[in-house]
Amino acid sequence: MNGPSKKVAGSAYARQALLPEGFRDQLAPKAEQEATLVRKLVDTFLSHGHDRVSPPVVEYEDSLLVGAGSTKGKQMFRLMDPDTQRMMAVRADMTIQMARLAATRLADSPRPLRLAYAGSVLRTKGSQIRPDRQFIQAGVELVGSDAIDAELEVIAISVEALEAVGIADLTLDLTIAPLAAMLCDGFGLELNVKDHVLEALDAKDIGALAELAPEPRAIFEKLLSAAGPAEDAVEVLSALELNGEAGKLVKRLASLVEMLGKRLPDMQITADPCETHGFEYKTGIGFALFAKGGSSELGRGGRYQVIHPDGHAEDATGFSVYLDSLMGAVEPLQPVSRVYLPKGTDASEGKKLREEGFRTIQGLTDGSDFEKEAARLGCSHVYAKGAISAI
Amino acid sequence: MELSQKLVLALPKGRILEEVMPLVHAAGIIPEDDFTNPKSRKLEFETNIKHLNIIRVRAFDAATFVAFGAAHFGVVGNDVLQEFGYSDLYSPLDLNIGHCRLSLAMPEDDCEEDPREWSHIRVATKYPNLTREYYANRGVQAECIKLNGAMELAPKLGLSRRIVDLVSTGGTLRANQLKEVEVLTHITSRLVVNRPAFKTRPKEVNYWIDRFREALDNGSAA
Repeated sequence: MNGPSKKVAGSAYARQALLPEGFRDQLAPKAEQEATLVRKLVDTFLSHGHDRVSPPVVEYEDSLLVGAGSTKGKQMFRLMDPDTQRMMAVRADMTIQMARLAATRLADSPRPLRLAYAGSVLRTKGSQIRPDRQFIQAGVELVGSDAIDAELEVIAISVEALEAVGIADLTLDLTIAPLAAMLCDGFGLELNVKDHVLEALDAKDIGALAELAPEPRAIFEKLLSAAGPAEDAVEVLSALELNGEAGKLVKRLASLVEMLGKRLPDMQITADPCETHGFEYKTGIGFALFAKGGSSELGRGGRYQVIHPDGHAEDATGFSVYLDSLMGAVEPLQPVSRVYLPKGTDASEGKKLREEGFRTIQGLTDGSDFEKEAARLGCSHVYAKGAISAI
Repeated sequence: MELSQKLVLALPKGRILEEVMPLVHAAGIIPEDDFTNPKSRKLEFETNIKHLNIIRVRAFDAATFVAFGAAHFGVVGNDVLQEFGYSDLYSPLDLNIGHCRLSLAMPEDDCEEDPREWSHIRVATKYPNLTREYYANRGVQAECIKLNGAMELAPKLGLSRRIVDLVSTGGTLRANQLKEVEVLTHITSRLVVNRPAFKTRPKEVNYWIDRFREALDNGSAA
């Protein structure tokens, strides 16, 4: 016998519907909308020549803990492989798998390597702001090019993909995460001071810099004041006349802002040289996309390095978007027209309607009052005597 | 500066509110009359600036409203910021008000022991995360009892041996035969800003940060 027995009916059975915190049943129409969003995103990625790959949900934990994965250790569910007795982990971020593919199985594929992916990831802990522990991640990776055009390309694809799913009024925020650390090292700051400075910059907390020596303090205060519209930020940063790697980064940002201005002239672009949180493994320019008026970030990406087994590093740029954030930013689906086909309707007529784009619901019971039946099943139209009529 | 759409400022109720209002006024924001009317049941108030609204909520909740983007900026103590550890909050300005400290206290007559010898300790506090973190750094498991007020009662009535609570003068501690052992963190109120709001409306948000900065500079110069 299936289903509840009489004894466990009521609240005890209702409790069986209770899911672990952070996991949810996605029902109609949201499940459909989410799947549509994923398909449209991936379609844009594919149209730019990125090949879709699909790694497994579970891997040995050591392969998920390399590179950027080392910061994700706490977020991964673990399970023991009963076969090899080795520890396995459920992916918490697919970009780590992309780096693994680029460094191993696809190491000899022609560069630049263009990959696209979409799949579910699991996290051991949700946060108060984002309680979900399972969500879909979709994105692209462009591996093996250190050209600034690679960044431009990935940003343009990201923007195109988000616009294609109906997000209007995007805001692009550019970051240069390594700059702050370079400056700290340049001033010879001790490790604990450096951590303190990075934290203060991340929180935009100008007061926390008060104890620094005047020279570094002046520079970091300038960095803080630079956060805002990209052109202003570039002006402030260029005026610092930084040398070496830091100077190169600033110049790169300046060129990218100029190129983006031409490529995406209508977009609001900001830059923030202080932001490092979540960009720890970026080795150059990073970026995040926001919907204007939205309360969360839609996706982020940037430049990082793929480390090969022989130790050599390869430049890569990627972007990923989480569907839970995206779902919060798009309009709800418009209800679709569904046509009720009374029992006995010729199969070919239903087929014709579906080819015209209608969704049909086949009546399975006899009955003269099929309008009532159609309404009960959520249909907007009925098909009778060769014509469709609205209910 | 004209606001393109609604911008919400979250202010904490109570003691801090009195200290923060002069700054709010100096920044050029004047709330509607209901704001100061104790009989009003309103929770959201319009101001002299079109599209700029003020909400008045509990200190802990001000951080939550801003972190979720329900309010765009607000005034929050750094005790609350550290307790929650929200990553989507910026705190660009120390408002230099609401001074106090978060301290560990114990009964005056309790003998001093080396905490490293304990494996765990029970602590009454409103700040379980900060407390756990403090003890974890000392290798001690803190069993936190979350209380929302009158922490000083806990040791006296045998609820816990230690408390972690806000201290401004230390008067309440002394009156309850407690002594301050260590300061976990010094506290002032901060102007906090929601990260997505800062990114998507940089000019408007920066404008208001600058107004508060000016209000602060003028105040300390006077």
